[in-house]
Amino acid sequence: MKKVFTFLMAATLATTLVACRGLDVVGQASVDSFDVILDAASNRLSYDDMNGGWSIEAPDGSVRFIWSSDYSRSPLHDLMLEFDAQPFIDAGLDVSLLPDYYSYYEGKLMVGVKLGDDRISEDVETTAIESYEYIVERYRSTVGYHAALDHFNLNIGNGNLFEWAKDLEVNGSDGSVQDKDIVFVLDPTPLIAAGVDPDAVTGWLFARVTVEIDGSPVEVDKFLKPFDLR
Amino acid sequence: MHKQTISIGGMTCAACAARIQKAVSRLDGTANVVVNFATEKATFEYDPEMIRISTIKEAIKDTGYVILEAKSPDEDKARKDAEIRSLWRKFIVAAVFSTPLLYIAMVPMIKFVQLPFPNGLDPMTYPLIYALAEIILVIPCVIVGRRFYTVGFKALVKRSPNMDSLIAVGTSAALLYSVWNTIQIAAGDFELVESLYFETAGVIIALILLGKALEAKAKGRTSDAIKKLMGLQPKTAIVIDPSGEEREIAIDDVEVKDILLVKPGTRIPVDGTVVTGRSAVDESMLTGESIPIDKGEGDRVYAATINANGALHIRAEGIGSETALAHIIRLVEDAQNSRAPIAALADKVSGVFVPIVIAFAAVIGMVWYLATRDTERALTIFVSILVIACPCALGLATPTAIMVGTGKGAEHGILIKGGEALETAHKIKTIVFDKTGTITEGKPRVTDVVGNGMGEAELLQLAASVEKWSEHPLGLAVVSAAGAVQEATDFVSVTGMGVQAAVGGKLVRVGRAAYANADKSAGDRFASEGKTPLYISVDGVFSGVIAVADTMKQSSRSAVEKAHRLGMSVAMITGDNMKTASFIAKQAGIDRVLAEVLPQDKAAEIKKLQAAGEIVAMVGDGINDAPALAQANVGIAIGSGTDVAMESADIVLMRSDLNDVTTAIQLSKATIRNIKQNLFWAFGYNVVGIPVAAGLLYLFGGPLLNPIFAAAAMSLSSVSVLANALRLKSFKPKEVS
Repeated sequence: MKKVFTFLMAATLATTLVACRGLDVVGQASVDSFDVILDAASNRLSYDDMNGGWSIEAPDGSVRFIWSSDYSRSPLHDLMLEFDAQPFIDAGLDVSLLPDYYSYYEGKLMVGVKLGDDRISEDVETTAIESYEYIVERYRSTVGYHAALDHFNLNIGNGNLFEWAKDLEVNGSDGSVQDKDIVFVLDPTPLIAAGVDPDAVTGWLFARVTVEIDGSPVEVDKFLKPFDLR
Repeated sequence: MHKQTISIGGMTCAACAARIQKAVSRLDGTANVVVNFATEKATFEYDPEMIRISTIKEAIKDTGYVILEAKSPDEDKARKDAEIRSLWRKFIVAAVFSTPLLYIAMVPMIKFVQLPFPNGLDPMTYPLIYALAEIILVIPCVIVGRRFYTVGFKALVKRSPNMDSLIAVGTSAALLYSVWNTIQIAAGDFELVESLYFETAGVIIALILLGKALEAKAKGRTSDAIKKLMGLQPKTAIVIDPSGEEREIAIDDVEVKDILLVKPGTRIPVDGTVVTGRSAVDESMLTGESIPIDKGEGDRVYAATINANGALHIRAEGIGSETALAHIIRLVEDAQNSRAPIAALADKVSGVFVPIVIAFAAVIGMVWYLATRDTERALTIFVSILVIACPCALGLATPTAIMVGTGKGAEHGILIKGGEALETAHKIKTIVFDKTGTITEGKPRVTDVVGNGMGEAELLQLAASVEKWSEHPLGLAVVSAAGAVQEATDFVSVTGMGVQAAVGGKLVRVGRAAYANADKSAGDRFASEGKTPLYISVDGVFSGVIAVADTMKQSSRSAVEKAHRLGMSVAMITGDNMKTASFIAKQAGIDRVLAEVLPQDKAAEIKKLQAAGEIVAMVGDGINDAPALAQANVGIAIGSGTDVAMESADIVLMRSDLNDVTTAIQLSKATIRNIKQNLFWAFGYNVVGIPVAAGLLYLFGGPLLNPIFAAAAMSLSSVSVLANALRLKSFKPKEVS
C-alpha cells in the first residue's frame, strides 16, 4: 500500500513538474487563439497611424478594438475601444459629462487604458500578433479567460473588455456554451451617469452578465456588441 | 477455557471491531469473542489445548491491525496521550494547508461579497497555476491522512471495508478526477478549472482528523474512573529489613510477607494485616464510606486506602494484581469491555454497513451520471454518500455510554460487572433482599438489659465476664456490649443450656430460663420481637434478662422506601421462622416475606418469581445467597459480604449501603436512556444524511450536499454522540419522593 501511495505522490509531482514548463497556459493559448481571430478578420484588420496601433473593426463598422504597436507612440490609450457616439447621444448622452478616460472626437467615443510608454521594437514594425504577444508578455494581467463562455478577453480598463472565442472552429458549431466569435463590452455606468437611457441605445445589447473581478464572479450590467466572423 | 484480553491498535470504527471479532471467532478453540471499539480491546475465551495466543494474535494482525503489548497503566496512558497528540498534530497540519486551499477554491465562487484574492492565482487568468497551487496545498493533507489510504484500501482489498475505506475511496475519487482535470487544463481545457475538487479531499481529511482527535480525547475521558482508581496505587513502599532498617522500594519489588511501615498521612501500599500500631484508616476510595475505620493489630488493611493518624506496621499479603484495588479495577475494566445486548443491533448494522454504502454510492452515482451526463454532479453525490455514511457514531453509541456509566457507578461505590447487568437493571420490577447480613447487620447485638434486683450495668458485666470464655455469637455480642469484664474462673459450658463461671466468688449462669432458675415469661416479650433472651442467675437466684438480636441496618428502611417509590415491589428471603422474619420485614417496610427457605431453595424461589413474569434483582451477601444471585436477572452483592457472593453477582455495592441498590437502578436507567439517545442520533443521522447526499433534496429543487459539509456532519455526529455519553458523568442519584 505504501508503494501505491508513493507512486501516486510521485505521479502528482511529475505532473506538476511537467506542467511547470509552461504554467501560463491561458496566455500562451490566447496568442494562438487571437491569431486565428486575426486570420478570420483579416479584411477588418488594419494599422491605425493616428492611434499608433492595430485595429479590428466590427463587421458593421460601428466599433473598433485598437491595441498599440509601440507604447511610446500611442498618444492616448494602448488598449482601446472606439465606437459611434450617435446611438448613445440619441439615448440622452451628454458627452461633456463623461469621465476623463473617455474621449469624444468627430462623432466617435474612445475609451481605453494606457499600459506604458515602452518601445516594442527599435527598427522593425511589429505585426498585429507580435503586438498582442507583447501584451501577454509584459501586461499579462490584462488577459483573462471567461470559463462560462469559453472566451478570452482583454481588459481595457474601467470595466470595458474585448472578448473573443477561444476556439473559433468549434465556437457555437457543436452546441457548446460559446457565444459569438468576438464581443465588444462597455461598462454602462459612466454612460448612464452622463444621461444615457440604456434601454434606448440602438445597436448595443444592454444585459446583465457575470464577470470575474479579482477572482470572484460578479453580476454586472454591460453594453454588448457581439459578432460572428464566419 | 482461559479468558484473555488483548489491546488492539488501529481500529477506526465499529466495522473494524466487527471484522476482528469475526476473524478471531472463526478460529477453532476460541469462544465468546467480544471486540470493543471504544476500549480498543478484544476479550475472548480460548482453549490452550487447541490454540495458542500467538496464533490468535497473528489472526488479528492479518486483518490489518496492531497488537498493543500489555503495559503498565502509566505506559498505556503515555501511549494514548501520544496518539492523541499525534492526531492533533496531523489535524493542525491538515488545517494549515486545507484552510488556504478552501479559501482559494471558494472565493472565486462567492458572489455576494468581495474577499481579497491573489491576482497570481486568478483561476480565469492563470488556471494551471491555480490548479497546481491547489495540488501543492492538498499534498500535505494527503500525507498526514495517508493512514486512511493504507488501511482503507487494504481493508477493501481484503473485502472487509471499513470507515477508512469510505474516506479513501471518496477522497481518492475527488483527487484523481481533479488531477485528470489539471492535466486537461495544461492541455488547453481551461474551463475545467471550475471542476477541481482538491479542496474537497483536503478539507474532508482535515475534518475527519479533527473528529478523530476529539473522539480520542473524549474516549480517554470515558475511562476517567479507571484512571482515577489506577492513580490511587502508591508507587513506593517502606520495607523494614530483618535488621530493622527502613528502606524505600518500588511497589513492584514488595513481596508477600514483607513487613512494611505505613507512616501517618500516606497511602497503604499493598493489602495486608496490621502487625503493630493503631490508626484510623480512610477506606472511602474503596468503599465510599467517608468515616475512617479504626485499625489495630490483626486487622486487615487495603492498598490505596489512607492511613490517617498513627504509624502502622503491616505484613504484605496481597500485592500487584492480587490487591482489592486491582480486583476492583479488573471488574470495572471487564464491565467496560463487555457488550450490552442493546449493542448487538448497532454492531450488526455496522458490520454490513460499509460494503452496502460503497455499492449504494456507486449505483446512485452511476444513475445520476446516466440521467444527466454530468460527471461532476455524479462524482459529488458519490463522494458525499461515502463520506456521510461513515458509521463511527453508530459504533460509539453503546460502548461509550457503558464506559461512562460503569465508571460513574465505580465512583459511587457500585461495581457493575457487565453491560448486560447495566441494561437489565432498569427493567427490574421486584427486589428480593436476603435478611441476615443484608437487611440486618448480620452480627447479633445486645438490644435490651432488664435487671431483676440488680443494676443493668452490673448484670451486663457479670454476664460478659462469663461469656468471655464462650465462643458463641450471642456471647460475643454480650462481651462487646459490656466493654470491661471481671476475672472469671471455673468456666463450664453445658451444651443446649448455657454457660457458667465463678466471678468475684459468685456463681454466674447465663443461658436458657431453666438453666438460670428463671420464669420463661420474663423473656417472652423479646421473643415475640424476634430477639433471643439470655437469662442470668447469680448464686442460683434469677437476676435478669439480656435480649440479643440481629439488628436492622440503618439504611434498610430508606432503601425499601426508595424502591417502593420507584414502583418496585420488595420481598425478603430468609431461613428464619415466619414470626421472626415478619417482625424484621415489618420494621423495614417490606411487603412480601419468603420465610423458612433453606439456602439451597433460595434460587428456586427466585425462579418462581421469574416464572410469574417478574424481572427480579436479588440482593445478598453470603455464600448461601450465591445460587440465588446467579439465578436472578440481576444479582447484587454487598461489598462486606463473601467473595463467593461477589463473584456470583452482577453488581457489587462496595459501601454496603442498601440505598445504593436504587442508585444502581437509577444509573442503569440513565445509561440506557443515554444509549437510546445515542443510537437515535447515530441511526437518524445516517437515515437523513444518506438520502440528502444521494441528491433527494436536489430532485425537488433543493441543494446538492457538498462533500465538505458531509465530512463536517460526519465528524460532528461522532463528537455529538461522545458528548452525549459524557453527559452521564454528571449523573447524580435523584432523591426519590
